[in-house]
Amino acid sequence: MAEAAQSLHPSQPLKHGHSVKRHTGLMDWITTVDHKKIAILYLWAGGIFFGIGGLEAILIRIQLIKPMNTFLDAQTFNELITMHGTTMIFLGVMPVIFALMNAVIPLQIGARDVAFPFLNALGFWTFLFGGILLNLSWVMGGAPDAGWTSYTPLSSTGYSPTHGVDFYTIGLQIAGLGTLIGGINFLATIITMRAPGMSFMRMPMFAWTTFITSAIILFAFPAITVGLVLLTFDRILEANFFNVAGGGNPVLWQHIFWIFGHPEVYILILPAFGVISEVIPTFSRKRLFGYSSMVFATILIAFLGFMVWAHHMFTTGLGPVANALFSVSTMLIAVPTGIKIFNWLFTMWGGQVRFTTPNLFAAGFIPTFTMGGVTGVMLASAPADFQFHDTYFVVAHFHYVIVGGLVLGLFAGLHYWWPKMFGRMLSETLGKWTFWTFIIGFHLTFFVQHFLGLMGMQRRVFTYLPNQQFDLLNLVSTIGAMLMGVGMLIFLTNIFLTSRRPADAADDPWEDGRTLEWTIPSPPPEYNFKQTPLVRGLDAFWKEKMAGHKGMTPSEPVGSIHMPSATILPFLMSVGIFIAGLGFMFSRDEFSSSIMSFLFNNYIVTALGLLITFGSMLMRSLFDDPGWHIEPEELEGR
Amino acid sequence: MATKQHSPDSPVKHRHRPEGPQRHIVVFVFSIVLTLIAFAAVAAGGVNPTFAVILLLVMAVLQVILQMGFWMHLKDKGHMMPIIFMLGGFFIAGTCIIMSLYWVWWD
Repeated sequence: MAEAAQSLHPSQPLKHGHSVKRHTGLMDWITTVDHKKIAILYLWAGGIFFGIGGLEAILIRIQLIKPMNTFLDAQTFNELITMHGTTMIFLGVMPVIFALMNAVIPLQIGARDVAFPFLNALGFWTFLFGGILLNLSWVMGGAPDAGWTSYTPLSSTGYSPTHGVDFYTIGLQIAGLGTLIGGINFLATIITMRAPGMSFMRMPMFAWTTFITSAIILFAFPAITVGLVLLTFDRILEANFFNVAGGGNPVLWQHIFWIFGHPEVYILILPAFGVISEVIPTFSRKRLFGYSSMVFATILIAFLGFMVWAHHMFTTGLGPVANALFSVSTMLIAVPTGIKIFNWLFTMWGGQVRFTTPNLFAAGFIPTFTMGGVTGVMLASAPADFQFHDTYFVVAHFHYVIVGGLVLGLFAGLHYWWPKMFGRMLSETLGKWTFWTFIIGFHLTFFVQHFLGLMGMQRRVFTYLPNQQFDLLNLVSTIGAMLMGVGMLIFLTNIFLTSRRPADAADDPWEDGRTLEWTIPSPPPEYNFKQTPLVRGLDAFWKEKMAGHKGMTPSEPVGSIHMPSATILPFLMSVGIFIAGLGFMFSRDEFSSSIMSFLFNNYIVTALGLLITFGSMLMRSLFDDPGWHIEPEELEGR
Repeated sequence: MATKQHSPDSPVKHRHRPEGPQRHIVVFVFSIVLTLIAFAAVAAGGVNPTFAVILLLVMAVLQVILQMGFWMHLKDKGHMMPIIFMLGGFFIAGTCIIMSLYWVWWD
């Protein structure tokens, strides 16, 4: 019924609920278009990549535990730092953000699915195959080693002759496709599919930040898409966009990368802001302080986020005027961010605060993120940045905002919505152990790195000389990293133990739920809402509770519910792009076997991959998908 | 906003007066005239190249406004979101173009 994308021609006969083919097991997961299942897929895939990125981090820290360590060589170290950054940002935290968005947003706005369920699946599979391609580099001739920013000319063929950076450009291109698709999907979902009565200013804060995040994705990802295409052409087709000898300009890459890259960090942090804005009011039993100022602060951060990219490039020689302007615009972002910090504090102020695990993470988020924000303002000052640039001070800063901000926010969100996603409450005891080990480990790891940076330790060096006062602080930092690893292991143990318990979570397991997702069973049925609810105010469920009602007022009679059909096409399309990408990467290689040379050098592998993708698209266009219906009798029968 | 869902079961109700074809014909003729002016400015020769470029750009902008407003229905009600997002896109694209020209090409 609410499936806007599954356009249904009225004259076509409808498939009845019973006749639809239901897949089971692995096939169910590969063909699903249900936002709740896609959320779980995103969580698993993102979690695995997060684990890989975490192991890379541990290896980096082991190498740096003592001066002149020989645990890793310089080349491996460079590959590890590149893959750690790239994996964590594009394949670790972003999918987990998408997991939370997919799991929660349709429920929060009272919708039965996202606007385009098919595209939702396509977005997941392209992300996954992009991520697999990128990580294949470890076993196919060496990982990318030019840093996660992949600055030219270091990343051009002159200095990176192996295929490492090709894995970066092609892998990120494919994964970025998935992100762009996901962003557009959430924009359409939030604009068109809110329940009756839910005006924009009655949307939960997480829905708002998802909306704004999706808008940033829509505007920022085309920049990196273009940048990656140019770099791919430079490397594989011998173009000259970033090649000075051919009339190109390497600084152009930095501009393009950061026009994308700076909004990207707001893509990361705004969803965390949304999670915190849900968790804190719930566990303070108070409505969010300054809701409308939160909304406008979010919009302002998104807008300003596009006008500060050059603060990553103060030392490239833009000149004093540009440096001054970008300093000021960067410092301006502290204003809306400060508004948010104070609003969270004022929400807790005078509330009946319960320190459950999610709220503990939220409470830990506020001071930790604020510290990252303060070093951000320090870095925004161009003259000071000439000292901080490329030192561990920068490393400390961005780990404070990404780990201390985003990852704590994700932990809060995962513990908070876990019962809604899986029907089981995570253990509070283990959750609190996770929090304390993780946050203490985090501050041990990164707080000391501020001082390492101020004392002159550079980023991205694979080792350092003894007796420069770096020894002790690096040891502390490595011990902290181990402790964070312990926190993650406790979290995984918690998940494992929880999964063995019966799924008995109540509809509103935290008992103070304020928004629509807590009005339906945990986990929700595949159609989410038997009847679309009528929203009568901000915090719709809380408003009904305060009015003495048991649940929401329905806005429609019980009727047959239109559902989208499961399909394997998104998976096949992504497989095709994956094959085409691999084929294109190796198209200029010389192979020992003549068959291989024939297949790759004539772009036959690429063509085969594209054939699969476009063939799947043709199938999608030629065969209409009318979807299927769940009839009222089935709804009542449950 | 929220009650108007674009789903097959509840089509958006366009309550505005039905438009006759007159306005579309006027806009169509106007689009042709704009194209002809631009074409003539170059084809006739003798026009100062700088002036011709500026004229072409002005004609192009007018053309875009007409196309978007009338043929893409942006002038109608309920199109606030497409307008906001298009302006956002123009803003970001413009930033990139100015950056490339000012810092990378000229500087």
